[in-house]
Amino acid sequence: MTETSRALSPATGHAGTALMAMAGPWLEAMDQSGVAIAVTDPGLADEPIVYVNGAFEALTGFAAAQALGRPSNFLQTAATDPDAVLAIGAALAQGGSARADILNQRRDGETFWNRMSVVTIRDTKGLPAFRLTTLTDVSHEYAGDVTAQELRISRRDLIEARERLRVVQAVAGAAGGWEWDIASNRFFADARFASIYGLDVLAAAAGLPATAFFEPIHAEDRMRVRIAVGGALHGAEVFARDYRIVTEGEVRWVSARGRTFLDAQDRPVKFAGVLADITGQKKIEERLHIAQTAGGVGSFEYLSGYGTAEVSEQFCRLLGFRPAQSLPVRTINSVVHPDDPAIIQNRDGAIGSGQAFHECRITRADTGEARWLASRGEYRRELSGGMTFTGVIYDITQTKNSEAKLRQLTERLEERVEARTQERDRIWNLSRDLLNVIGPDGTQRTVNPAWTALLGHSEAELVGMPMASLVHAEDLPLLRLRLAALLRGETVPDFDIRLRAKDGGYHWVSWKAVPEGEAIYGIGRDVTQRKLLEDQLRQSQKMEAVGQLTGGLAHDFNNMLTGILGGMDMVRRRVSQGRLDDVDRFLDAAMQSGQRAAALTHRLLAFSRRQTLDNRPLDITALVGSIADLLRRTLGEQVELVVDMDPELWSAVADDNQLESALLNLAINARDAMPEGGRLTISGRNAKLSASDLAHSDRAEAGDYVEIGVADTGLGMAPEVLAKAFDPFYTTKPLGQGTGLGLSMIYGFVQQSRGNVLIESQEGQGTTIRLFLPRHAGALTDAAKPASIDASLGQGEVVLVIEDDPAVRLLVLQVLEELGYQAIETADGREAIPILQSQQQIDLLVSDVGLPGLNGRQLAELARETRPTLPVLFMTGYAKEAIDQARFLTAGMEIITKPFAVDELGHRINMILRQNK
Amino acid sequence: MIAHVIPLEDLERDALTELVNIGMSRAASSLRKMVGEQVLLSVPALEVVTRGGAATLIRERESGQVVAVRQDFEGIFSGRALLIFPEANSLALVRAVTGGAISAEDAAELEDEALAETGNVVLNSCLATMANMLQQSLTMSLPEVIRSDGSSLFDLVENGVEEGVVLFLYINFAINDRNIRGYIAMLMDLPSLEALRLLIADFIRRVVGDET
Amino acid sequence: MTTTVLIVDDSKLARIVIGKAVSSLQPGWTRVEAGNADEAITVIDARPVDVVILDYNMPGRDGIALAEELRARFPAMPIALATANVQDEIVARARSADVTFVVKPVTEEGIRGFVSGAALRLRLPQP
Repeated sequence: MTETSRALSPATGHAGTALMAMAGPWLEAMDQSGVAIAVTDPGLADEPIVYVNGAFEALTGFAAAQALGRPSNFLQTAATDPDAVLAIGAALAQGGSARADILNQRRDGETFWNRMSVVTIRDTKGLPAFRLTTLTDVSHEYAGDVTAQELRISRRDLIEARERLRVVQAVAGAAGGWEWDIASNRFFADARFASIYGLDVLAAAAGLPATAFFEPIHAEDRMRVRIAVGGALHGAEVFARDYRIVTEGEVRWVSARGRTFLDAQDRPVKFAGVLADITGQKKIEERLHIAQTAGGVGSFEYLSGYGTAEVSEQFCRLLGFRPAQSLPVRTINSVVHPDDPAIIQNRDGAIGSGQAFHECRITRADTGEARWLASRGEYRRELSGGMTFTGVIYDITQTKNSEAKLRQLTERLEERVEARTQERDRIWNLSRDLLNVIGPDGTQRTVNPAWTALLGHSEAELVGMPMASLVHAEDLPLLRLRLAALLRGETVPDFDIRLRAKDGGYHWVSWKAVPEGEAIYGIGRDVTQRKLLEDQLRQSQKMEAVGQLTGGLAHDFNNMLTGILGGMDMVRRRVSQGRLDDVDRFLDAAMQSGQRAAALTHRLLAFSRRQTLDNRPLDITALVGSIADLLRRTLGEQVELVVDMDPELWSAVADDNQLESALLNLAINARDAMPEGGRLTISGRNAKLSASDLAHSDRAEAGDYVEIGVADTGLGMAPEVLAKAFDPFYTTKPLGQGTGLGLSMIYGFVQQSRGNVLIESQEGQGTTIRLFLPRHAGALTDAAKPASIDASLGQGEVVLVIEDDPAVRLLVLQVLEELGYQAIETADGREAIPILQSQQQIDLLVSDVGLPGLNGRQLAELARETRPTLPVLFMTGYAKEAIDQARFLTAGMEIITKPFAVDELGHRINMILRQNK
Repeated sequence: MIAHVIPLEDLERDALTELVNIGMSRAASSLRKMVGEQVLLSVPALEVVTRGGAATLIRERESGQVVAVRQDFEGIFSGRALLIFPEANSLALVRAVTGGAISAEDAAELEDEALAETGNVVLNSCLATMANMLQQSLTMSLPEVIRSDGSSLFDLVENGVEEGVVLFLYINFAINDRNIRGYIAMLMDLPSLEALRLLIADFIRRVVGDET
Repeated sequence: MTTTVLIVDDSKLARIVIGKAVSSLQPGWTRVEAGNADEAITVIDARPVDVVILDYNMPGRDGIALAEELRARFPAMPIALATANVQDEIVARARSADVTFVVKPVTEEGIRGFVSGAALRLRLPQP
């Protein structure tokens, strides 16, 4: 009895003693047995093990001391089939014994197929006292791959296999399998799955993270599949999705069918399924569906003896039922007129044979409408016994009605012909519309009296005349195009052309024309009045828009001028009072207003002229950071600014000044939308946009973008406002409080940058504007910004200044003087020419472009005749010249745009003069 | 140049269907344990219909009388859950759930009682699981057995409002080897679509979760 | 002295199923039944009861309310709440009343833990 110590652990001491008492003589034999044996105590929770023999230790790798006290199921793994375990429990509860093959796990983690046999040993009262289990390793019977073993036993898996077979049959052997281990959130897939998904076969077999399952899925389907898989991983049993995957640029349709397996506590452990490529099938289905839907054909299949028939959606629709895949035969036949044959005939099991065709009247289930249907089908004997009746139904009400009408018509044909002729003549003669028939040569064969009434030409003049000879020259190409199409027998849309009247005036006529045989039949309606009204409407809309714009501009400029003039006025007062301490404040205010005015004119020009953008690679995070302070000041204390940039944000390509001003504009809009305060979030993230994402963009292409979001928590926009948000001149602000150029300029700027803008807004829910700028492919190079200008002093060089605006002239002269140059001032060409033609030393000509009389460019031309190397610096307020710089300037000429800073002017003059030394 | 607003509705439908799929799977598991047989489920379906439309949907699929156990629920969303099967299956289902526990005569006598408890367990598991997935709580009424041709399954006793639009979700089940089949169906009122949408959005975040 | 278990459920089928599961685990226990909370109180006032298994969803007071009352009167009594209503909130309320939560449908497997725990607790000397 040396081995009995196995059974006598402290935990099971009591049971061990009882076991000894009951089975003492047998224990020794068990110890020596070559068959692995375990004894459990069914009276305790989890039915702990109270005895194991040596063979058990050898088979499982667990020493007796490790096994004792453990629950009876401790060898099971997550892969053990829960149904098999339940079946054992059920068998034990019923008869006290059970046999089964289940998957178990050794101590070293290796799994093996255990053919177990359990018997219950009862005490004297007949109650279960112990259970004796023998274990045998039968893994060799389950040779083959592990997945196959695990799929083998349970009935549930059989259903799975059946489903798999179904899919396989449907798609001719193109199914792949996957199995998802929910605990580790990895999935394992076979070679076929890997090939459909474009995955590495070995990696797929070794297990991949969840992302690999979703990544190849078409962006439009991905979220749907993720939700469905999410459901499956949280316990949804049935998984069925058809979706697209994209591998190597190719789109394929797949059908995925899966099932989630739960453990005894209803916790999901495994999610397995099959995947089939159904691209071909999908195409055929689509074609079939179109054919059936377009042709109004519904199909059905009925197996004799069953209560229901498989039907198509269109079948249900034809009968007025809600779409379903199967319908009870009784329901189908219940809509048929009692005197007509049923759609599916199976009374008393009597079913026909061969081809079948019949017609019947039905009362639609939904509307109660009476319709005629035809049913055409075929009876086939099945190999498995029974008959199938497969067929189609289609609506023949129209045909039936036409038949009836045709009969009636024939009966009364003669009187009708007579009546019709009169009717047609009446229409021809009395119509106010122009009616004509045009021959294949383009000449009019007949015209009705309305022609003469409208245009004044007589019928004799009009017949035989090509229609083209009456048409306004500008409309001729359209007429020719339409006539050519009509003569080819095509139908054409209505078209408007002008016809000349006898008095030389033109009438707008809207034409509807159809080809008929060799001729063209036309009906024209005089729409001159309507055209006039349309023109007036357009004009008045334009005026309204201009009014709004000028009103807004005037308001803005008045504000800025008030800032400038007020500031200057204050400075003058302070100076006259000798209080110079806070003069700077007013000067700053005036400068600021002036700069804003400059910015506004710049933007206006940008808007109207589409100025060239200075596109360069940008670090958006840095840019947003650099203007955050400015934004905070603009937004005020009531609005919190949140900046949320992706740390991995790509760089983008855009014009930094434009982007800054766009963001500032958006911030101002947002502030105005949050009168009670709120939060403005500027975010940055990377985005991949597909062509469909960019359907609304003019110039952007699918690819990588940097998305900048500006979201407020303000009032939001009503749908009708949202629809017009990007329209130029559209503003919600009261007349005179804004130009309405903000959003349309941003739109223009982003479109010009080959990006895209989206706006999302709901009333009361705030507004989010998202700017998408193209990603910069390379690394960021720091484009060196011009260092701050340090104007060095001149040495008495002579500068001739031509400027008609005294204020600007004063300024320029002042600068020159301060910089140490000698200035000669003139107001226009008349004053300047004599000086230029004299022997006066002149080192530089600084001239306005727009001057009374000769313009600056012509003046420079003149000067160069006598002084061919004289450098010229033009000053201009028009951006148009700036755009045409290349054409406008020749060597030695430069341009500076107004308004400019004093320093900048000094620097430019300095540079030019130094170059010429 | 109008902004496009992402069409969320399809995804919301998907998510809602999936939520019901999870709940109904749990319900099927309960039924499985009660009858000791495999219970097969179809793919769940979701429709937005009137109450009358929902009834028509069931009636067209069932040519005879049906038996249903219904349970009303209330909380952040409210509605009615039903376990529906053809009347002809009723006794077979009772025998399946009572198993060997009681005699055939007792089973017949206990029929409605047993159906109510079966419905109670099945519908409770479904609704409770859904409530847990949404991290919300629901209160559920006592189960009630109805026999009908399908038309009155979704009537409101309380106020008789017929034509409100409801969300109708259903799944077909079949008990293997027993020739018993039926539906687990759910009707959800739409008093606050917004609230439901928020819940759904949360749910999507939860199930889609970290697999980014 | 035998152990008495009280099964409170408005469904007769549920009482049968629970009773069957308990009997197969503890054949020696005496079973008594009640159809609602008030009946249950009447039974407990009339005779000693050692273990209670109760339904949640019943006409009249629900199972948690009954459990809380019983817990106040019998601090050490093993009580289980058997329901398919597995909402987190209900599970938490059961736990806070020191009541074991058992999922319906009740199976021998599912209730084994509670029954053997109860048997063990009853064997300990009562305070």
